[in-house]
Amino acid sequence: MRKQKRTDLCATIILTVLGVLSAVPLLITVVGSLMPVNDIVAHYTTQLSVFDIINGTREKYIQIPLIPSRVTLEQYQNVLVIQPVFLMLLLNSIKITVPVVLGNLLVSVAAAYGFTVWKWRHKEKVFLIYIIIMLMPLQAVLVPNYIIAEQLRLNGSYLAIILPGIFSPFGTFLLRQSLKRLPKDCLEAAEIDGAGPLRVFWSIVLPQMKSGMAALVMLVFIEYWNVVEQVIVFLKEYYKQPLSVFLSYLPSENVGLIFAASTVYMLVPLWFLALGQKDLERGIELSSGK
Amino acid sequence: MNETKRKKYDSGILFLLASFGGVLLFYLWPFMVSLWFAFTDSPVRGNFAGIDNFTELLHNKAYLLGLKNTLAFIGMSVPLGMFLSLIVAILIRRSGRQKELFVLLFLIPLVIPSGSTIFFWQALFLDDGYLNGMLVTVGFDKIRWLDTSAVRYVILLIFLWKNLGYNMVLFLAGLHNIPREQYEAASVDGSGVVSTFLQITLPGLAPTMVLAAIMSVINSFKVFKEIYLITGSYPHESIYMLQHFMNNMFYTLNYQKLSAATCILVLMIAMVVLLLLRLERGFEQ
Repeated sequence: MRKQKRTDLCATIILTVLGVLSAVPLLITVVGSLMPVNDIVAHYTTQLSVFDIINGTREKYIQIPLIPSRVTLEQYQNVLVIQPVFLMLLLNSIKITVPVVLGNLLVSVAAAYGFTVWKWRHKEKVFLIYIIIMLMPLQAVLVPNYIIAEQLRLNGSYLAIILPGIFSPFGTFLLRQSLKRLPKDCLEAAEIDGAGPLRVFWSIVLPQMKSGMAALVMLVFIEYWNVVEQVIVFLKEYYKQPLSVFLSYLPSENVGLIFAASTVYMLVPLWFLALGQKDLERGIELSSGK
Repeated sequence: MNETKRKKYDSGILFLLASFGGVLLFYLWPFMVSLWFAFTDSPVRGNFAGIDNFTELLHNKAYLLGLKNTLAFIGMSVPLGMFLSLIVAILIRRSGRQKELFVLLFLIPLVIPSGSTIFFWQALFLDDGYLNGMLVTVGFDKIRWLDTSAVRYVILLIFLWKNLGYNMVLFLAGLHNIPREQYEAASVDGSGVVSTFLQITLPGLAPTMVLAAIMSVINSFKVFKEIYLITGSYPHESIYMLQHFMNNMFYTLNYQKLSAATCILVLMIAMVVLLLLRLERGFEQ
């Protein structure tokens, strides 16, 4: 018994170390966002000042301070109030993410229910096509996306990113998985009782899908909040780009603001995680086909 | 009876119409078009070119480099990532009360957008970055992390950091599904830790492993986001991936090569997935 306890303690220690390591980028970013702009410029840029040269410093390296010399919201004030470009780019992210999340949810809920009640003999073969498309990495889908965007003249518009996102088969797959637990008899019983398909959908299927829907919203949100590849291909003008890409080539005069901008950008997904950790875990299990 | 049956059939397909339309228009149709492009010599009124595009592609140095690096990265990152997350999952099951907190910590990298951490990674790995500062202070030489083949390990580290949580969740679920009685029986028989792991845990996890492998292969393509955001369009050649090649083809509007590259990629993924699924079926029987 004592041996058991010791191994448990060991596990906790190893996990604490690894867990802290995995949170380090987040911690550094949040701590950095509370520092004065001057501190950031002093620690994170390595250009030698006159003062350094007089002192005989030849090389300077980036330092990553863990404790702010003074806690201030100066960076946030800059990012959120003084320089509207950040808000504009944040708005771009919202303009892409929100339609994809809502649209995909709507289409997927209907389709998942459709696949469940559809009685065609070959429906599993159709579903297999969905699974195959779902398993394709983004790069394999990007060329077809590009081709259809050209044909519909959507290049340079958010729709080139949004529309394929709305119809991505992943959501249908995920929600259908979450419906598998619904006993078949339940649906049939409702039909025999004379409930129409819409009625069955509202009162039996939708409640069953709830946690699957939460998981889907989260996974799709995380993916499109972090959209990079499609932006590079479809959106050439920088003012149209979402923050996910723009953060990586922030002009050097804005170095002092990067941590606050980064923190603001990751707040929403972190908030989602805090609210729905269980849903996210369930979503990951479902999307692997469990 | 016949009447009602027909009604049911109709209602199912009605719910599917939007999705079918979208999948057809935005996925299947353009897939067909790109398949057509792959076998023609020019996008406008092209002539059938047989497998010319493919042979040309297979003689293209940039393509081969990208393919090689992508496969090498998958070969390295997928097993390592699965191994690490399995260990973490096993540890978490032993850790008692803080279980949820640990899971949360390992899920953080998964949800935060790549762009938000790019500045941090650069500060760490640039030539005049934090790590080199440390190395020089201790008396070692600088390592040019991002401009030599060392960048491979930087990317591997970022991949492991980001995806540990994903497989961990899968393994936690898999471990949860192994019946407790099996462990009890093993402990009655007096099996040690290692033999219990080899005889019960590993076989019990086999189907989960296959699914985790499939998801890891797919997730390993996503590390391109970090590669691109940290090193731009033309990184060190050791991390020049298939995606870089394809992106550059977009800029030169070379649809034929792009489409041929897509076809090969689709074929490869399909083969890997089918192989793994067959493996899973074998395990489950």
